[in-house]
Amino acid sequence: MINLVYNEMLKIVRKKRLFIIAAIVAVLVSLFTYAQFKQIETIRERIGTTDWRTQLQQQIIDTQNRLNSTGISEEWKKFLKIRLQQQQYYLDNDINPMAPGAPTFMRMFIENSIELFLPLLVMVIAADLVSSEASGGTIKLLLTRPVKRWKVLMSKYIAMILSTSFIVFSVALLSYAISGIVFGYGGWNLPLLTGFSVQGEELNTTAVHLIPQWKYLLIEFGLAFFVSLVVGTLTFMLSVLIRSTAAVMGIMLAALISGAILSSMVSSWESAKYLFMVNLRLTSYVSGTAPPIDGMTLSFSMTVLAVWALGALIVSFYVFTKRDVY
Amino acid sequence: MSKRIIGMIVAICAATTLLWAIGLIVTIQDQFFYEASSVKQPKQTTSNTKKNDALSIVALGDSLTRGTGDETGKGYVGYVVDELKKRTNQHVQFTNLAIKGQRSAQLIGQLKQKEVQRQLKEADIILMTIGGNDLFRGGEALRDLSTTQLEKEKEKFAQQLRTIFQLVRTVNNEAPVFYIALYNPFNDLDNGKETSAVVRSWNYVASEVAADYQFIICVPTYDLFELQVNDYLYTDKFHPNKEGYKRIGERVASLITLTKGEK
Repeated sequence: MINLVYNEMLKIVRKKRLFIIAAIVAVLVSLFTYAQFKQIETIRERIGTTDWRTQLQQQIIDTQNRLNSTGISEEWKKFLKIRLQQQQYYLDNDINPMAPGAPTFMRMFIENSIELFLPLLVMVIAADLVSSEASGGTIKLLLTRPVKRWKVLMSKYIAMILSTSFIVFSVALLSYAISGIVFGYGGWNLPLLTGFSVQGEELNTTAVHLIPQWKYLLIEFGLAFFVSLVVGTLTFMLSVLIRSTAAVMGIMLAALISGAILSSMVSSWESAKYLFMVNLRLTSYVSGTAPPIDGMTLSFSMTVLAVWALGALIVSFYVFTKRDVY
Repeated sequence: MSKRIIGMIVAICAATTLLWAIGLIVTIQDQFFYEASSVKQPKQTTSNTKKNDALSIVALGDSLTRGTGDETGKGYVGYVVDELKKRTNQHVQFTNLAIKGQRSAQLIGQLKQKEVQRQLKEADIILMTIGGNDLFRGGEALRDLSTTQLEKEKEKFAQQLRTIFQLVRTVNNEAPVFYIALYNPFNDLDNGKETSAVVRSWNYVASEVAADYQFIICVPTYDLFELQVNDYLYTDKFHPNKEGYKRIGERVASLITLTKGEK
């Protein structure tokens, strides 16, 4: 079994996909670092101080003003209201949520990439794991070996898990290393608040507690890994079902992008919360932003995702072991 | 590619998988089974930072201070700050705490916030507008100009304004406060005479209240908009436009004397 997994890893590494992904991450992180740097500079210029309390207060006031303007959608209004209450809570407790530093940047980066960017990277690896063997014809060679079929598929699945964690790791490492050049490498022990829960338009703070940033990051990257795994498993299933890698990618891409669009407009279609793609933003439960649909919680989303992944896994193994290969 | 490199990659993958699995366990433990303890107040680190050398300007109030109607988004405060930047060598620090549509009662609530008070304490100059929404209530007041109702509103406003000034002065009793008084945007309407009378009486009350406090200056704007009011109003016929804000800004800037760093 270990040899089989090693063999699969060899194939993935030979294709140089992992390095290409790392390069993409590096480019994107550099871009975001520069954008973030510019943003901080503009704020400093406008307000004329580096004091975070003043800046946060100004942000709160700006949000309040946006809330008062007309022509702003109800969902967006609710989102702003929740964020406003949270910012006020941070301010009242004298905690800076955005103290500059590489760990803060990592947090921002993973929160923004968990929904689309990270799943896309995982998809690149997972999409052709099985389908490329089918379209290339090498599947026959693989299955004529005296190894049980489920073992072959299992080795591929484990290889997928391993490369997924490699991707998440490269995101963590590169975002830390690159942004640190600009923002400095400190800030692991910065206290942060978590445990906010959203009820309607109110922010419930009864369960709020402080955790150091390293723990916060561990949580967020753990969740990012979970999301990547689920997306990877779904892609894996499609890869088993469909012979064409391009079709697998197309379907997953459509699903992921529709998820990103849906999350911003589904608040009135309640049963949409059982779709996997609106549940991908797990980190927003940790940081305490309003979920796309009322009543969604971390445990709910994780359960939905787990059920989808489990279903996909069962389908892939069933189909792969029963299918005629010719 | 050598076997060693691949072996290393596989090892990294395995190690990070373990790390993320730990992350998930921590998540479950922290997010679902946290011990219900209240947020420990972290020690006040730099709560009372010593007053730095910058010239600090804080603006309070409603949409006028926000700059609604000025397409450049500056508002009169923007022009005041620009003007001061020209006149002083000091670093200018500027925070705009104004909220659109704010009434005096809401401003009182805002003034009780800890962070707002901290900023006021450090302020060297305070600019504010308030009362416009109390009086006009989005144009509602104009339809019903019954004197008894307006008298009552005026009385309430005077009291609230007193509270506002009191709050500002208890936090900071040195910085000059420029209270920008009301103008009449409905000057050229049919009942312009009546509305103008009401605005004047409100301004009179405000200036009386301001006179009770040291360094609170009531800056008139009524005259600025008296002729050709529409040339200085934004398309909503209520807020000033860029030109209108410039006029207010010029007037306020001319009243500010700088004690140090003057060019």
